[in-house]
Amino acid sequence: MTDAGLPTSEHLEHLDTDTIADLIENLLPAPEAHRAREHVKACPDCQQTYDALLQLTEDLADEGRTDIPMPADVAEHLNAVIASESVLRASTVGVHSLVQLREEPHRHLPKLLLAAAAVVVVAGAGVVGVVLATADHSTDGAAGIGSPTSVPSITTEQVGPDAQRWLEGAKGPILHGEAAEIDCARQFATTQPDSELQLVQPATVDGKRSTVIGLPGGSAGDVKVFVVTGCSGSGGPATPFYDTTVTLRNR
Amino acid sequence: MTSDITRIGPPPSPGAGPVPPQGYEAMDDHELLRLHVAGNPDTFGYLVKRHRDRMWAVAIRTLGEPEEAADALQEAFISAFRRADSFRGDAKVTTWLHRIVVNACLDRIRRRQVRAADPLPEDEDRAAELAGPAEDDPAEVRERRLDVLNALKQINVDQRSALVLVDMEGYSIEEAAAILGCAPGTVKSRCARGRAKLLPLLRHWQTTRGGSADDVPAKARQTAPTAAATSSGTGGTE
Repeated sequence: MTDAGLPTSEHLEHLDTDTIADLIENLLPAPEAHRAREHVKACPDCQQTYDALLQLTEDLADEGRTDIPMPADVAEHLNAVIASESVLRASTVGVHSLVQLREEPHRHLPKLLLAAAAVVVVAGAGVVGVVLATADHSTDGAAGIGSPTSVPSITTEQVGPDAQRWLEGAKGPILHGEAAEIDCARQFATTQPDSELQLVQPATVDGKRSTVIGLPGGSAGDVKVFVVTGCSGSGGPATPFYDTTVTLRNR
Repeated sequence: MTSDITRIGPPPSPGAGPVPPQGYEAMDDHELLRLHVAGNPDTFGYLVKRHRDRMWAVAIRTLGEPEEAADALQEAFISAFRRADSFRGDAKVTTWLHRIVVNACLDRIRRRQVRAADPLPEDEDRAAELAGPAEDDPAEVRERRLDVLNALKQINVDQRSALVLVDMEGYSIEEAAAILGCAPGTVKSRCARGRAKLLPLLRHWQTTRGGSADDVPAKARQTAPTAAATSSGTGGTE
Protein backbone atom coordinates (compact mmCIF):
# COMPACT_ATOMS: atom_id res chain seq x y z
CA MET A 1 0.00 0.00 0.00
CA THR A 2 1.48 3.33 -0.98
CA ASP A 3 0.66 6.69 0.44
CA ALA A 4 -0.60 7.86 -2.92
CA GLY A 5 -3.06 4.99 -3.16
CA LEU A 6 -3.86 4.82 0.52
CA PRO A 7 -7.54 5.19 1.18
CA THR A 8 -8.06 6.87 4.51
CA SER A 9 -10.94 8.41 6.33
CA GLU A 10 -9.44 11.80 5.49
CA HIS A 11 -9.55 10.99 1.79
CA LEU A 12 -13.12 9.68 2.15
CA GLU A 13 -12.11 6.91 -0.21
CA HIS A 14 -13.36 3.55 0.94
CA LEU A 15 -11.34 0.40 1.28
CA ASP A 16 -12.34 -2.28 -1.16
CA THR A 17 -13.83 -5.47 0.20
CA ASP A 18 -10.71 -7.54 -0.62
CA THR A 19 -8.59 -5.28 1.57
CA ILE A 20 -11.03 -5.49 4.46
CA ALA A 21 -11.22 -9.29 4.09
CA ASP A 22 -7.41 -9.43 4.09
CA LEU A 23 -7.36 -7.23 7.18
CA ILE A 24 -9.68 -9.62 9.00
CA GLU A 25 -7.52 -12.58 8.01
CA ASN A 26 -4.31 -10.79 9.10
CA LEU A 27 -2.92 -10.95 5.61
CA LEU A 28 -1.83 -7.32 5.33
CA PRO A 29 1.71 -6.27 6.21
CA ALA A 30 1.82 -4.51 9.58
CA PRO A 31 1.97 -0.86 8.41
CA GLU A 32 -0.85 -1.35 5.93
CA ALA A 33 -2.87 -3.28 8.44
CA HIS A 34 -2.51 -0.44 10.93
CA ARG A 35 -3.65 2.18 8.43
CA ALA A 36 -6.53 0.01 7.21
CA ARG A 37 -7.65 -0.62 10.77
CA GLU A 38 -7.60 3.07 11.56
CA HIS A 39 -9.62 3.75 8.44
CA VAL A 40 -12.25 1.18 9.32
CA LYS A 41 -12.63 2.69 12.76
CA ALA A 42 -13.24 6.10 11.27
CA CYS A 43 -15.40 5.09 8.31
CA PRO A 44 -18.93 3.83 9.02
CA ASP A 45 -19.33 2.30 5.56
CA CYS A 46 -16.11 0.30 5.80
CA GLN A 47 -16.98 -0.66 9.37
CA GLN A 48 -20.26 -2.05 8.02
CA THR A 49 -18.41 -4.06 5.41
CA TYR A 50 -16.02 -5.29 8.08
CA ASP A 51 -18.93 -6.39 10.28
CA ALA A 52 -20.74 -7.92 7.32
CA LEU A 53 -17.70 -10.05 6.45
CA LEU A 54 -17.47 -11.28 10.02
CA GLN A 55 -21.17 -12.05 9.98
CA LEU A 56 -20.80 -13.87 6.66
CA THR A 57 -18.23 -16.18 8.22
CA GLU A 58 -20.67 -17.00 11.01
CA ASP A 59 -23.50 -17.51 8.53
CA LEU A 60 -21.43 -19.87 6.44
CA ALA A 61 -20.53 -21.82 9.56
CA ASP A 62 -24.22 -22.06 10.47
CA GLU A 63 -25.05 -23.25 6.99
CA GLY A 64 -22.14 -25.68 7.05
CA ARG A 65 -23.46 -27.30 10.21
CA THR A 66 -26.50 -28.55 8.33
CA ASP A 67 -25.93 -31.55 6.13
CA ILE A 68 -27.50 -31.71 2.71
CA PRO A 69 -29.47 -34.94 2.42
CA MET A 70 -28.15 -37.05 -0.39
CA PRO A 71 -30.90 -37.56 -2.98
CA ALA A 72 -32.44 -41.01 -2.79
CA ASP A 73 -31.41 -42.03 -6.30
CA VAL A 74 -27.82 -41.02 -5.70
CA ALA A 75 -27.77 -42.89 -2.38
CA GLU A 76 -29.26 -45.98 -3.97
CA HIS A 77 -26.70 -45.96 -6.74
CA LEU A 78 -23.89 -45.47 -4.24
CA ASN A 79 -25.14 -48.44 -2.21
CA ALA A 80 -25.07 -50.56 -5.37
CA VAL A 81 -21.54 -49.47 -6.15
CA ILE A 82 -20.30 -50.26 -2.65
CA ALA A 83 -22.10 -53.62 -2.73
CA SER A 84 -20.38 -54.36 -6.03
CA GLU A 85 -17.04 -53.50 -4.49
CA SER A 86 -17.77 -55.98 -1.69
CA VAL A 87 -18.54 -58.66 -4.24
CA LEU A 88 -15.37 -57.89 -6.12
CA ARG A 89 -13.30 -58.19 -2.98
CA ALA A 90 -15.03 -61.32 -1.73
CA SER A 91 -14.57 -63.00 -5.10
CA THR A 92 -10.81 -62.82 -4.87
CA VAL A 93 -9.08 -66.05 -4.13
CA GLY A 94 -9.68 -66.94 -0.54
CA VAL A 95 -8.85 -63.39 0.45
CA HIS A 96 -10.98 -61.26 2.68
CA SER A 97 -8.41 -58.83 3.91
CA LEU A 98 -7.26 -55.71 2.10
CA VAL A 99 -3.85 -56.15 3.67
CA GLN A 100 -3.53 -59.62 2.15
CA LEU A 101 -4.77 -58.33 -1.16
CA ARG A 102 -2.22 -55.54 -1.16
CA GLU A 103 0.59 -57.90 -0.29
CA GLU A 104 -0.31 -60.42 -2.98
CA PRO A 105 -1.60 -58.40 -5.91
CA HIS A 106 -0.02 -60.64 -8.57
CA ARG A 107 -2.02 -63.55 -7.27
CA HIS A 108 -5.36 -61.80 -7.47
CA LEU A 109 -5.04 -59.42 -10.39
CA PRO A 110 -6.58 -61.61 -13.12
CA LYS A 111 -9.59 -62.36 -10.93
CA LEU A 112 -9.90 -58.74 -9.97
CA LEU A 113 -10.03 -57.72 -13.60
CA LEU A 114 -12.79 -60.21 -14.29
CA ALA A 115 -14.72 -59.14 -11.24
CA ALA A 116 -14.21 -55.49 -12.12
CA ALA A 117 -15.97 -56.11 -15.41
CA ALA A 118 -18.94 -57.45 -13.49
CA VAL A 119 -18.88 -54.45 -11.18
CA VAL A 120 -19.00 -52.06 -14.12
CA VAL A 121 -22.11 -53.81 -15.37
CA VAL A 122 -23.71 -53.77 -11.96
CA ALA A 123 -22.84 -50.16 -11.19
CA GLY A 124 -24.05 -49.07 -14.59
CA ALA A 125 -27.38 -50.72 -14.06
CA GLY A 126 -27.66 -49.30 -10.57
CA VAL A 127 -29.07 -52.51 -9.21
CA VAL A 128 -28.60 -53.76 -5.70
CA GLY A 129 -28.95 -57.49 -6.18
CA VAL A 130 -25.76 -58.70 -7.76
CA VAL A 131 -24.75 -61.88 -9.48
CA LEU A 132 -21.07 -61.97 -10.15
CA ALA A 133 -19.86 -63.96 -13.12
CA THR A 134 -16.55 -65.47 -12.12
CA ALA A 135 -14.01 -67.13 -14.33
CA ASP A 136 -14.77 -70.78 -14.47
CA HIS A 137 -12.40 -73.45 -15.65
CA SER A 138 -14.80 -76.29 -15.29
CA THR A 139 -16.06 -78.23 -18.25
CA ASP A 140 -19.74 -77.86 -17.58
CA GLY A 141 -19.78 -74.19 -16.71
CA ALA A 142 -21.03 -74.48 -13.16
CA ALA A 143 -19.83 -71.63 -11.03
CA GLY A 144 -20.19 -70.62 -7.43
CA ILE A 145 -20.36 -67.14 -6.00
CA GLY A 146 -17.48 -66.58 -3.67
CA SER A 147 -15.75 -69.83 -4.49
CA PRO A 148 -12.14 -69.52 -5.56
CA THR A 149 -11.22 -70.26 -9.14
CA SER A 150 -7.54 -70.95 -8.48
CA VAL A 151 -5.87 -72.78 -5.62
CA PRO A 152 -6.44 -71.35 -2.13
CA SER A 153 -4.19 -72.35 0.74
CA ILE A 154 -6.19 -73.58 3.70
CA THR A 155 -5.87 -75.91 6.65
CA THR A 156 -7.95 -79.01 7.31
CA GLU A 157 -9.82 -77.03 9.98
CA GLN A 158 -10.90 -74.57 7.32
CA VAL A 159 -12.08 -77.20 4.86
CA GLY A 160 -15.56 -77.56 6.34
CA PRO A 161 -16.35 -73.85 6.88
CA ASP A 162 -14.88 -72.85 3.50
CA ALA A 163 -16.69 -75.60 1.61
CA GLN A 164 -19.92 -74.60 3.33
CA ARG A 165 -19.40 -70.96 2.42
CA TRP A 166 -18.60 -71.76 -1.19
CA LEU A 167 -21.59 -74.04 -1.60
CA GLU A 168 -24.02 -71.74 0.17
CA GLY A 169 -22.99 -68.95 -2.16
CA ALA A 170 -23.55 -71.03 -5.28
CA LYS A 171 -26.71 -71.80 -7.16
CA GLY A 172 -25.48 -75.24 -8.21
CA PRO A 173 -22.49 -77.55 -8.18
CA ILE A 174 -19.05 -75.99 -8.15
CA LEU A 175 -16.67 -77.77 -10.45
CA HIS A 176 -13.34 -76.02 -10.57
CA GLY A 177 -10.00 -77.21 -11.86
CA GLU A 178 -8.64 -78.76 -15.01
CA ALA A 179 -10.72 -81.38 -16.79
CA ALA A 180 -8.37 -84.17 -15.68
CA GLU A 181 -8.75 -83.15 -12.05
CA ILE A 182 -12.54 -83.08 -12.31
CA ASP A 183 -12.51 -86.49 -14.04
CA CYS A 184 -10.37 -87.81 -11.22
CA ALA A 185 -12.92 -86.49 -8.72
CA ARG A 186 -15.69 -88.21 -10.68
CA GLN A 187 -13.79 -91.48 -10.48
CA PHE A 188 -13.43 -91.02 -6.74
CA ALA A 189 -17.15 -90.21 -6.46
CA THR A 190 -18.10 -93.57 -7.96
CA THR A 191 -16.63 -95.23 -4.89
CA GLN A 192 -19.09 -93.39 -2.62
CA PRO A 193 -22.80 -94.07 -1.94
CA ASP A 194 -23.95 -90.98 -3.87
CA SER A 195 -21.67 -89.99 -6.74
CA GLU A 196 -23.31 -86.72 -7.80
CA LEU A 197 -20.51 -84.17 -7.56
CA GLN A 198 -21.40 -81.04 -5.58
CA LEU A 199 -17.94 -79.61 -5.31
CA VAL A 200 -14.56 -79.97 -6.92
CA GLN A 201 -12.11 -77.37 -5.72
CA PRO A 202 -8.35 -77.47 -6.17
CA ALA A 203 -6.66 -76.35 -2.94
CA THR A 204 -3.48 -76.56 -0.99
CA VAL A 205 -4.53 -78.14 2.29
CA ASP A 206 -2.00 -78.19 5.10
CA GLY A 207 0.66 -77.56 2.48
CA LYS A 208 -0.34 -80.45 0.22
CA ARG A 209 -1.73 -79.89 -3.25
CA SER A 210 -5.14 -81.44 -2.88
CA THR A 211 -8.63 -81.54 -4.29
CA VAL A 212 -11.65 -80.77 -2.16
CA ILE A 213 -14.56 -82.94 -3.28
CA GLY A 214 -18.13 -82.55 -2.09
CA LEU A 215 -20.76 -85.28 -2.47
CA PRO A 216 -24.33 -85.55 -1.17
CA GLY A 217 -24.43 -86.55 2.50
CA GLY A 218 -26.86 -88.78 4.33
CA SER A 219 -29.48 -86.09 5.02
CA ALA A 220 -31.04 -83.31 3.00
CA GLY A 221 -28.68 -80.35 2.87
CA ASP A 222 -25.72 -82.39 4.03
CA VAL A 223 -22.59 -82.49 1.93
CA LYS A 224 -19.83 -84.95 2.61
CA VAL A 225 -16.55 -83.19 1.96
CA PHE A 226 -13.38 -85.12 1.17
CA VAL A 227 -9.88 -83.86 0.74
CA VAL A 228 -7.88 -86.05 -1.59
CA THR A 229 -4.44 -86.04 -3.12
CA GLY A 230 -3.49 -87.53 -6.45
CA CYS A 231 -6.01 -85.76 -8.68
CA SER A 232 -3.79 -82.89 -9.71
CA GLY A 233 -1.15 -83.50 -12.34
CA SER A 234 -1.19 -87.26 -12.56
CA GLY A 235 -4.98 -87.51 -12.80
CA GLY A 236 -5.41 -90.12 -10.12
CA PRO A 237 -6.01 -92.23 -8.34
CA ALA A 238 -7.50 -90.08 -5.57
CA THR A 239 -6.31 -90.76 -2.06
CA PRO A 240 -8.49 -89.19 0.67
CA PHE A 241 -6.75 -87.94 3.80
CA TYR A 242 -9.48 -85.88 5.44
CA ASP A 243 -13.25 -85.75 5.40
CA THR A 244 -16.04 -83.89 7.12
CA THR A 245 -19.74 -83.24 6.67
CA VAL A 246 -21.31 -79.83 6.39
CA THR A 247 -24.98 -78.88 6.44
CA LEU A 248 -26.01 -76.18 4.04
CA ARG A 249 -28.44 -73.72 5.55
CA ASN A 250 -30.01 -72.71 2.26
CA ARG A 251 -30.70 -76.13 0.75
CA MET B 1 -28.93 -54.46 9.34
CA THR B 2 -30.98 -51.65 7.92
CA SER B 3 -33.05 -51.85 4.82
CA ASP B 4 -30.75 -49.85 2.59
CA ILE B 5 -27.61 -51.79 3.33
CA THR B 6 -27.52 -54.78 1.07
CA ARG B 7 -25.67 -57.87 2.16
CA ILE B 8 -24.03 -59.49 -0.82
CA GLY B 9 -21.39 -62.16 -1.15
CA PRO B 10 -20.11 -64.77 1.22
CA PRO B 11 -20.16 -64.34 4.98
CA PRO B 12 -17.30 -62.44 6.57
CA SER B 13 -14.05 -64.26 7.12
CA PRO B 14 -13.27 -65.21 10.71
CA GLY B 15 -11.03 -62.14 11.11
CA ALA B 16 -13.91 -59.86 10.26
CA GLY B 17 -15.51 -60.62 13.59
CA PRO B 18 -19.07 -61.49 14.57
CA VAL B 19 -21.93 -59.04 14.35
CA PRO B 20 -22.12 -57.38 17.77
CA PRO B 21 -25.37 -57.74 19.71
CA GLN B 22 -26.04 -54.02 19.48
CA GLY B 23 -25.40 -54.03 15.73
CA TYR B 24 -22.88 -52.28 13.54
CA GLU B 25 -24.62 -48.96 13.93
CA ALA B 26 -23.43 -48.77 17.51
CA MET B 27 -19.77 -49.08 16.47
CA ASP B 28 -17.53 -46.07 16.07
CA ASP B 29 -15.96 -45.19 12.74
CA HIS B 30 -12.56 -46.65 13.57
CA GLU B 31 -14.04 -50.03 14.47
CA LEU B 32 -16.20 -50.15 11.34
CA LEU B 33 -13.17 -49.39 9.20
CA ARG B 34 -11.02 -51.92 11.03
CA LEU B 35 -13.60 -54.63 10.41
CA HIS B 36 -13.83 -53.64 6.76
CA VAL B 37 -10.08 -54.02 6.36
CA ALA B 38 -10.31 -57.41 8.09
CA GLY B 39 -12.77 -58.57 5.46
CA ASN B 40 -16.21 -57.74 6.79
CA PRO B 41 -18.43 -57.13 3.75
CA ASP B 42 -20.98 -54.99 5.56
CA THR B 43 -19.24 -52.41 7.69
CA PHE B 44 -18.08 -50.09 4.94
CA GLY B 45 -21.70 -49.72 3.87
CA TYR B 46 -22.56 -48.54 7.36
CA LEU B 47 -19.70 -46.06 7.25
CA VAL B 48 -20.99 -44.71 3.95
CA LYS B 49 -24.52 -44.49 5.27
CA ARG B 50 -23.33 -42.63 8.37
CA HIS B 51 -21.35 -39.97 6.51
CA ARG B 52 -22.87 -39.75 3.06
CA ASP B 53 -24.97 -36.64 3.73
CA ARG B 54 -21.98 -34.76 5.10
CA MET B 55 -19.80 -35.83 2.19
CA TRP B 56 -22.58 -35.00 -0.25
CA ALA B 57 -22.70 -31.50 1.20
CA VAL B 58 -18.96 -31.10 0.72
CA ALA B 59 -19.09 -32.41 -2.85
CA ILE B 60 -22.11 -30.39 -3.96
CA ARG B 61 -20.71 -27.22 -2.40
CA THR B 62 -17.29 -27.73 -3.94
CA LEU B 63 -18.43 -28.79 -7.40
CA GLY B 64 -21.65 -26.87 -7.67
CA GLU B 65 -23.19 -29.45 -9.96
CA PRO B 66 -25.19 -32.39 -8.62
CA GLU B 67 -24.25 -34.79 -11.38
CA GLU B 68 -20.58 -34.01 -10.93
CA ALA B 69 -20.93 -34.29 -7.17
CA ALA B 70 -22.53 -37.73 -7.48
CA ASP B 71 -19.74 -38.96 -9.75
CA ALA B 72 -17.04 -37.50 -7.52
CA LEU B 73 -18.55 -39.06 -4.43
CA GLN B 74 -18.74 -42.44 -6.11
CA GLU B 75 -15.08 -42.22 -7.07
CA ALA B 76 -14.20 -41.08 -3.57
CA PHE B 77 -16.00 -43.88 -1.76
CA ILE B 78 -14.60 -46.54 -4.06
CA SER B 79 -11.15 -45.12 -3.44
CA ALA B 80 -11.78 -45.13 0.31
CA PHE B 81 -13.05 -48.71 0.13
CA ARG B 82 -9.91 -49.89 -1.61
CA ARG B 83 -7.43 -47.79 0.34
CA ALA B 84 -8.92 -48.37 3.76
CA ASP B 85 -5.85 -50.27 4.95
CA SER B 86 -3.74 -47.14 4.42
CA PHE B 87 -5.82 -45.22 6.95
CA ARG B 88 -3.75 -44.12 9.91
CA GLY B 89 -5.64 -44.81 13.08
CA ASP B 90 -4.49 -41.63 14.80
CA ALA B 91 -6.64 -39.45 12.53
CA LYS B 92 -10.40 -39.10 12.49
CA VAL B 93 -12.11 -41.23 9.90
CA THR B 94 -14.16 -38.20 8.83
CA THR B 95 -11.00 -36.17 8.20
CA TRP B 96 -9.64 -39.01 6.08
CA LEU B 97 -12.92 -39.22 4.16
CA HIS B 98 -13.01 -35.44 3.69
CA ARG B 99 -9.54 -35.53 2.20
CA ILE B 100 -10.52 -38.25 -0.26
CA VAL B 101 -13.78 -36.53 -1.20
CA VAL B 102 -12.19 -33.11 -1.65
CA ASN B 103 -9.39 -34.58 -3.74
CA ALA B 104 -11.91 -36.43 -5.91
CA CYS B 105 -13.78 -33.14 -6.41
CA LEU B 106 -10.61 -31.24 -7.26
CA ASP B 107 -9.53 -33.99 -9.66
CA ARG B 108 -12.80 -33.63 -11.50
CA ILE B 109 -12.40 -29.88 -11.65
CA ARG B 110 -8.88 -30.24 -13.05
CA ARG B 111 -10.08 -32.70 -15.65
CA ARG B 112 -12.92 -30.34 -16.50
CA GLN B 113 -10.44 -27.50 -16.93
CA VAL B 114 -8.37 -29.63 -19.28
CA ARG B 115 -11.48 -30.24 -21.36
CA ALA B 116 -12.41 -26.58 -21.40
CA ALA B 117 -14.53 -27.15 -24.48
CA ASP B 118 -16.68 -29.61 -22.58
CA PRO B 119 -19.11 -27.38 -20.64
CA LEU B 120 -21.01 -28.64 -17.66
CA PRO B 121 -24.70 -29.16 -17.99
CA GLU B 122 -26.72 -26.35 -16.47
CA ASP B 123 -30.00 -27.56 -15.10
CA GLU B 124 -31.46 -25.30 -12.48
CA ASP B 125 -34.43 -27.57 -11.80
CA ARG B 126 -32.20 -30.58 -11.27
CA ALA B 127 -29.91 -28.53 -9.04
CA ALA B 128 -32.85 -27.50 -6.90
CA GLU B 129 -34.06 -31.06 -6.71
CA LEU B 130 -30.68 -32.39 -5.68
CA ALA B 131 -30.16 -29.73 -3.04
CA GLY B 132 -32.20 -32.05 -0.87
CA PRO B 133 -35.58 -33.70 -0.75
CA ALA B 134 -38.21 -31.01 -0.42
CA GLU B 135 -40.05 -32.88 2.29
CA ASP B 136 -36.98 -33.05 4.53
CA ASP B 137 -36.44 -29.37 5.19
CA PRO B 138 -38.51 -26.21 5.57
CA ALA B 139 -38.70 -23.98 2.50
CA GLU B 140 -36.49 -21.29 4.00
CA VAL B 141 -33.76 -23.80 4.76
CA ARG B 142 -33.79 -25.05 1.17
CA GLU B 143 -33.88 -21.51 -0.17
CA ARG B 144 -30.91 -20.52 1.92
CA ARG B 145 -29.07 -23.68 0.90
CA LEU B 146 -29.64 -22.95 -2.76
CA ASP B 147 -28.50 -19.35 -2.24
CA VAL B 148 -25.21 -20.63 -0.88
CA LEU B 149 -24.80 -23.23 -3.61
CA ASN B 150 -25.46 -20.66 -6.32
CA ALA B 151 -23.16 -18.10 -4.74
CA LEU B 152 -20.37 -20.64 -4.27
CA LYS B 153 -20.62 -21.59 -7.96
CA GLN B 154 -19.80 -18.03 -8.89
CA ILE B 155 -16.45 -17.85 -7.16
CA ASN B 156 -13.08 -19.30 -8.03
CA VAL B 157 -12.92 -23.03 -7.30
CA ASP B 158 -9.79 -22.71 -5.16
CA GLN B 159 -11.47 -20.08 -3.03
CA ARG B 160 -14.62 -22.19 -2.93
CA SER B 161 -12.90 -25.35 -1.72
CA ALA B 162 -11.00 -23.39 0.95
CA LEU B 163 -14.19 -21.72 2.18
CA VAL B 164 -16.10 -24.99 2.24
CA LEU B 165 -13.44 -26.62 4.40
CA VAL B 166 -12.64 -23.72 6.73
CA ASP B 167 -15.85 -21.71 7.08
CA MET B 168 -18.42 -24.41 6.44
CA GLU B 169 -16.79 -27.64 7.61
CA GLY B 170 -14.93 -26.04 10.49
CA TYR B 171 -11.42 -27.21 9.68
CA SER B 172 -8.49 -25.15 10.90
CA ILE B 173 -6.37 -23.34 8.34
CA GLU B 174 -3.61 -25.90 8.88
CA GLU B 175 -5.94 -28.88 8.47
CA ALA B 176 -7.46 -27.40 5.32
CA ALA B 177 -3.98 -26.73 3.96
CA ALA B 178 -3.06 -30.37 4.53
CA ILE B 179 -6.23 -31.57 2.81
CA LEU B 180 -5.80 -29.20 -0.12
CA GLY B 181 -2.05 -29.72 -0.38
CA CYS B 182 -1.06 -26.08 -0.21
CA ALA B 183 0.48 -23.60 2.26
CA PRO B 184 -1.61 -22.29 5.17
CA GLY B 185 -1.05 -18.75 3.90
CA THR B 186 -2.59 -19.71 0.60
CA VAL B 187 -5.66 -21.09 2.36
CA LYS B 188 -6.05 -17.89 4.38
CA SER B 189 -5.75 -15.79 1.27
CA ARG B 190 -8.25 -17.91 -0.64
CA CYS B 191 -10.71 -17.69 2.25
CA ALA B 192 -10.37 -13.92 2.54
CA ARG B 193 -10.82 -13.30 -1.17
CA GLY B 194 -13.62 -15.84 -1.37
CA ARG B 195 -15.52 -14.09 1.42
CA ALA B 196 -15.05 -10.77 -0.30
CA LYS B 197 -16.61 -12.18 -3.46
CA LEU B 198 -19.42 -13.95 -1.63
CA LEU B 199 -20.45 -10.92 0.39
CA PRO B 200 -22.36 -9.08 -2.35
CA LEU B 201 -23.82 -12.37 -3.59
CA LEU B 202 -25.31 -13.14 -0.19
CA ARG B 203 -26.03 -9.62 0.99
CA HIS B 204 -29.76 -10.34 1.24
CA TRP B 205 -28.91 -12.54 4.23
CA GLN B 206 -28.15 -9.33 6.03
CA THR B 207 -31.59 -8.07 5.00
CA THR B 208 -33.36 -11.03 6.49
CA ARG B 209 -31.56 -10.33 9.72
CA GLY B 210 -33.25 -6.93 10.04
CA GLY B 211 -30.97 -4.65 8.06
CA SER B 212 -31.27 -3.70 4.44
CA ALA B 213 -29.49 -4.60 1.26
CA ASP B 214 -27.74 -1.27 1.48
CA ASP B 215 -26.03 -2.39 4.66
CA VAL B 216 -23.19 -3.51 2.47
CA PRO B 217 -22.01 -0.20 1.07
CA ALA B 218 -22.11 0.07 -2.66
CA LYS B 219 -18.79 1.84 -2.64
CA ALA B 220 -17.20 -1.02 -0.80
CA ARG B 221 -18.45 -3.41 -3.43
CA GLN B 222 -17.51 -1.28 -6.37
CA THR B 223 -14.26 0.46 -5.54
CA ALA B 224 -11.24 -0.43 -7.60
CA PRO B 225 -8.60 -2.47 -5.82
CA THR B 226 -6.29 -0.36 -3.76
CA ALA B 227 -2.57 -0.78 -3.54
CA ALA B 228 -3.13 -2.67 -0.31
CA ALA B 229 -5.33 -5.21 -1.99
CA THR B 230 -2.71 -6.01 -4.57
CA SER B 231 0.26 -6.23 -2.27
CA SER B 232 -0.74 -8.78 0.31
CA GLY B 233 2.29 -9.62 2.36
CA THR B 234 1.47 -13.23 3.17
CA GLY B 235 1.87 -14.66 -0.26
CA GLY B 236 -0.26 -17.01 -2.19
CA THR B 237 -2.91 -14.41 -2.82
CA GLU B 238 -5.36 -15.59 -5.41
